[in-house]
Amino acid sequence: MGLHIIVCIKAVMLEPPKGQLIRSVDSLELNPFDWPALEVALRMKEEHGGTVTAISMGPEDSVFVLYEAMAMGVDRGVLVCDRAFAGSDTLATSTALAAAIKKLSPFDLVLFGTRTADSDTGQVGPQTAVVLDLPMVTGVHSIQWTDSGIQVERYADGFREEFNLSLSAVLTIHPRSVQPRGLGLSGIELAFEEGEVEKWDLAELDLSPDQVGWAGSATRVLSWKRVTRERKCEFISGTANEQVEELVSHLKKSGLIG
Amino acid sequence: MNTLLSEKHRTVRRSVRNFCERELRPIAKEIDQEARFPWEIVEKMGNLGFFGVQAPIDLDGAGMDSVGYAVVIEEISRVCASLGLCISVHNSVVIYPLLAFGSEEQKQRWVPPLARGEKIGAFCLTEPNAGSDAAAIEATAVLDGDHYVVNANKVFVTNGGIADICLFFVRTDPKAGRKGVSVIVAERGTPGFVVGDLEDLCGMRANPVSSIRLYDCRLPAENLLGKQGMGLRIGLSGLDAGRIGIAAQAVGIAQAALEEGVRYARQRHQFGVPIGKHQAVQMMIADMATQVDAARLMVYRAALLRDQEKPFSQAAAMAKLYASETSSKVADLSVQIHGGYGYSKSYPIERYYRDARVTRIYEGTSEIHRLVIARGVLGQ
Ligand SMILES: Cc1cc2nc3c(=O)[nH]c(=O)nc-3n(C[C@H](O)[C@H](O)[C@H](O)COP(=O)(O)OP(=O)(O)OC[C@H]3O[C@@H](n4cnc5c(N)ncnc54)[C@H](O)[C@@H]3O)c2cc1C
Repeated sequence: MGLHIIVCIKAVMLEPPKGQLIRSVDSLELNPFDWPALEVALRMKEEHGGTVTAISMGPEDSVFVLYEAMAMGVDRGVLVCDRAFAGSDTLATSTALAAAIKKLSPFDLVLFGTRTADSDTGQVGPQTAVVLDLPMVTGVHSIQWTDSGIQVERYADGFREEFNLSLSAVLTIHPRSVQPRGLGLSGIELAFEEGEVEKWDLAELDLSPDQVGWAGSATRVLSWKRVTRERKCEFISGTANEQVEELVSHLKKSGLIG
Repeated sequence: MNTLLSEKHRTVRRSVRNFCERELRPIAKEIDQEARFPWEIVEKMGNLGFFGVQAPIDLDGAGMDSVGYAVVIEEISRVCASLGLCISVHNSVVIYPLLAFGSEEQKQRWVPPLARGEKIGAFCLTEPNAGSDAAAIEATAVLDGDHYVVNANKVFVTNGGIADICLFFVRTDPKAGRKGVSVIVAERGTPGFVVGDLEDLCGMRANPVSSIRLYDCRLPAENLLGKQGMGLRIGLSGLDAGRIGIAAQAVGIAQAALEEGVRYARQRHQFGVPIGKHQAVQMMIADMATQVDAARLMVYRAALLRDQEKPFSQAAAMAKLYASETSSKVADLSVQIHGGYGYSKSYPIERYYRDARVTRIYEGTSEIHRLVIARGVLGQ
């Protein structure tokens, strides 16, 4: 019956409109770190057969990431969506995702991106593995199949590490491990016109309101503001010699050369 | 603006933009300067469906609607208008007429390889003595048994240097005037099919625009598209669709010019402030942004009407006229914002300025578009 691989993906906000943090459909995008996880899942499916399911937890307007995943070749999309999830931190998110993943059993692998481009915690993958009580390796570069499960490779702190895992297992996929395929236009057409995303709410997941959202969160975000780094560009003019002089004195002044 | 588009169309925009930024941006300047067609990315674009945007999925196309098509052309042209031109002609005035007027057999034979991007299409109407006046063409096709013997001298053929499947407008009845024009498909490699020198163009330099001549070229009678005498009808319906493509191309170029202008206005300092703080520059930016937005809306409206199977000719003609004139104006203003640097090849704006200009000329000049629009408005 082939493999069943689940990939957890998220809509993130890239380039928020100047000065504001407004979530709008136009500023949302599929988290760039999730593309490699989808690519790895699809390559495994192509090699070994089976199905790939993508799950996303988020508000209604993030449903398009699941259609994009289907445009790429994913078989099934599930949006985990309920007002009660609002305000979830990474723990509450993991609780909800784990419930959805259990409902999708049986499965062989659960894949995540290493982190998200908008909140950058890198916690959701590992935490979900803990909630599911499954073996987990982060930042995976490559995966080999063995008789008893998989062998994975990861690079960390200048070392190459190898792990054997039994299945089912959870992996976060290193962003540079594979080059994700682009979305073909016919894939987009078929996914958006004929594909269907399932929507699961709290009741569907057998969770109570106090396990998710604000209530189920262990952390509170107190404030949120964008930190910008000033970059300036100066033009140096004059003859070549004058320009060199000026450049050297600039670099000295800024302490970059002695 | 973008919220007017559906999720699907926004995904099309994002994914085409990502592709163009990653694959096309790094080579766009070089292929313009070297006047080189970028074969290296054609296969990738073919795999993504760019060569058969609106062809049905069962003929290996992507089965998209016109709005999706406009978004694709706009995004490609934003980075490289020469390639936008290649894709626009290939889709709108080659594949579309084949789909609309071709027999089942002709569609099965020509559309799939075109839609996959394995073969490139061209539209051969213009001749030395027939430009705006398309009915004045002199190319001839004379039936001889089950073949037409064709003699033609076609100039300014977009994709001419690389095209495999070419729609030729020829005169099958020398006495019938407008009714004597037919369209016949000529494949490269047929004896007598000769590609002339490439035009040394001002803009769109990465597109191998050339002349193509047919010398006593024997083409099977089954290569005739539609019926004898339908040529101008086929041409005009292709150009109707093509206007949406060229208008979208012009919007893409204008968008690129606007973005460069804004970037430069933020970065360049004169009189102690970024030049974007000077009101004269702000006025230019405001006009540019407004006109680009208006042009884009007109293009999407024309595409939407076409998708809803409503009359769209007039809307498409207006969109082509306005978007092409806008792209010239916006590129011109952006050069102005760049000052002397805008006139140098060190900045991309000079390329946009050159590329924008021709959108007012091909697939019907602005003057011819005004004639068409006025005729519609006056009910003549
Ligand atoms: C880069 C490029 C790519 C092209 N690609 C193709 C292609 O793929 N296939 C193809 O068949 N052709 C192609 N063309 C040709 C293009 O469509 C023609 O150049 C265009 O139709 C104008 O024809 P012309 O150049 O002969 O100008 P003319 O028709 O001679 O026009 C000269 C001027 O007179 C004006 N004029 C002419 N008639 C009238 C009138 N009745 N009323 C008012 N003003 C008038 C025109 O608007 C223009 O300003 C291409 C051209 C270029 C530059």
